[in-house]
Amino acid sequence: MDHLSDNTLMLKVKAGDLDKMGLLFERYHRSLYGFLFHMTNQKEASEDMVQNVFYRMLKYRNSFSGDGAFRTWMYHLARNVLKDYVKSNNRSAFQYDLKEIEERISGGSTADQLLEKEQELQALETALAGLSAENKELLVLSRYQELSYQEIAQILDTTEGAIKVRVHRAMNQLKSIYLKINV
Amino acid sequence: MYKASLMKCEYDKERLIYLLNNPINETERTALEKHIEGCPDCQNEFEASQKIWTLLGEIPQPAPSDHIQADFRKMLANYKETVTEKHNFIESLLAKFKQLWTLQPSLQLAYSIVLLVTGLFAGYFINHSKEPVLNGEISALSMEVQDMKKMMMMSLLENPSASERMRAISYSEEITDVNSQVIEALLTTLNNDENVNVRLMTLEALVKLSGNPMVREGLVQSITRQESPLVQSAIADVMVKLQEKKSIKPLQKLLRKNDLNEMVKDKIRQSLNKLI
Repeated sequence: MDHLSDNTLMLKVKAGDLDKMGLLFERYHRSLYGFLFHMTNQKEASEDMVQNVFYRMLKYRNSFSGDGAFRTWMYHLARNVLKDYVKSNNRSAFQYDLKEIEERISGGSTADQLLEKEQELQALETALAGLSAENKELLVLSRYQELSYQEIAQILDTTEGAIKVRVHRAMNQLKSIYLKINV
Repeated sequence: MYKASLMKCEYDKERLIYLLNNPINETERTALEKHIEGCPDCQNEFEASQKIWTLLGEIPQPAPSDHIQADFRKMLANYKETVTEKHNFIESLLAKFKQLWTLQPSLQLAYSIVLLVTGLFAGYFINHSKEPVLNGEISALSMEVQDMKKMMMMSLLENPSASERMRAISYSEEITDVNSQVIEALLTTLNNDENVNVRLMTLEALVKLSGNPMVREGLVQSITRQESPLVQSAIADVMVKLQEKKSIKPLQKLLRKNDLNEMVKDKIRQSLNKLI
C-alpha cells in the first residue's frame, strides 16, 4: 500500500475507505507537527492541532478534488487550524520578543559551555523564532516541509514569483537576526 | 572580475534562493552557478544564505509525543462510528424507500384506486350536497306545475269553445298523478259534453287511465248514456280492448235501443261476441 500516491490514498478516503487516512497520518503527522510547533512553540497545542488537521481532512474529504496535490490541500487545512488556534488563544504566539531572546542567549551561563556548533544552532533557532510569522512560515514550509516555491505559492494562494521575493526577504531577515545574536 | 566588483551587480539576487532548495532545471542551475563564480557580491550573499540554510537543516526537529498515534487511532475510530451511525440512518431511510419502490406497482394501483374513489366521492358529494335542496325545489316546482295544470284543465273544461275544452283534455294526459277530481271531471265531460269530438278525445284520454277501477266503472256506466253513433262504437271498441266483462249488460241494453244506428248495432254485436 505504501507505494500508492498521496492523492490516490486521499481519493480512497473520499470514497469511504477511511482507514487509508492512517497511511497518510504515518506519512505526514511528523512534518505537520513540525510545522505547527515551529509556528506556535506549543507542544501540546501542536499535537492537538495535528489531530484537528486530520479530523478536518476526514470531515471535508469530499472537498478534495484530486486535481491539486494532497500536500497543498493538507497545508491549506493546517493553516486554517492554526489561524483558529491563534484566534481562540488571542495572542501573537508566533513572535518572541527579540530582547527576551537575546537575554536568554547571552545571559545564560550554560551558553559559554556550549560547543561552538551548538551555540550557532541555538542562535539560529532563536533567530527563526524571532522572525515575523509570515517569514517564519515561509522558511518552515520551504526548509522543513521541503515544499517547492510553486507548492508554497499554491498553499498561500499567490504566485511563485511573489514567493521567490518573500523567501529572499525572509532569508535576509533571518541572517540579520542571526548575526545580531551570534556575534 | 574587476568590472563586476566595481559595478553594482544587476543580477536578480532573489533567484539565488533557487539554489538552496528548489528543483530547477540544469541549464538554469549552471547559469546561476556561473554567475556566482564571476560575481563576488552574489557569491557572498549566496554563501551566507547557504550557511544559514544548511544550519537550519541541522536544527533538531521537534518530534511529537508517542501518544499522538494512539490519539489519531482513537479519533479515527470515533469518526468512523459517527459516520456509520449517519450512514446507518441514511441506509435505513434508503431501504425504506427501496421497499416502497418494490411495492410500487401495487402501491400505484392502490393509489390510483384511492384517487378514483376519492374523485367519485368528491363528485358525488359535490353534486348531492346540493341535490336535496334542488330535488326539493324541483319536486315542489313540479307539484306546483301539476296543480296548475289540473286547475287549468278544470277551468278549461268549462270553456264554451270546443277547441279549448279539447286543450283541457290534452292537459289531462300530461298530469301524472290523476286524482278522483280529474277523473270525475273527465267522466262528466264524456257523458255530457255537447261536442262529439270532445267526447271522443275524452274517451281516448280515459282509456289511458283505464288502470284505475273508478275510470273503468265510469266508462261502463257511460255506455248507455251515449247518443252519438261514433262515440257508441268507439266505446264498444274500448270495452273489447279492455276486456271489460261488466260492460256486457250495458251493451246488450244499448243494443235493444230502437233508434240505434244499424252500423253501431253491428259493431256492438261484434264487440259482444268478442267479450262473451
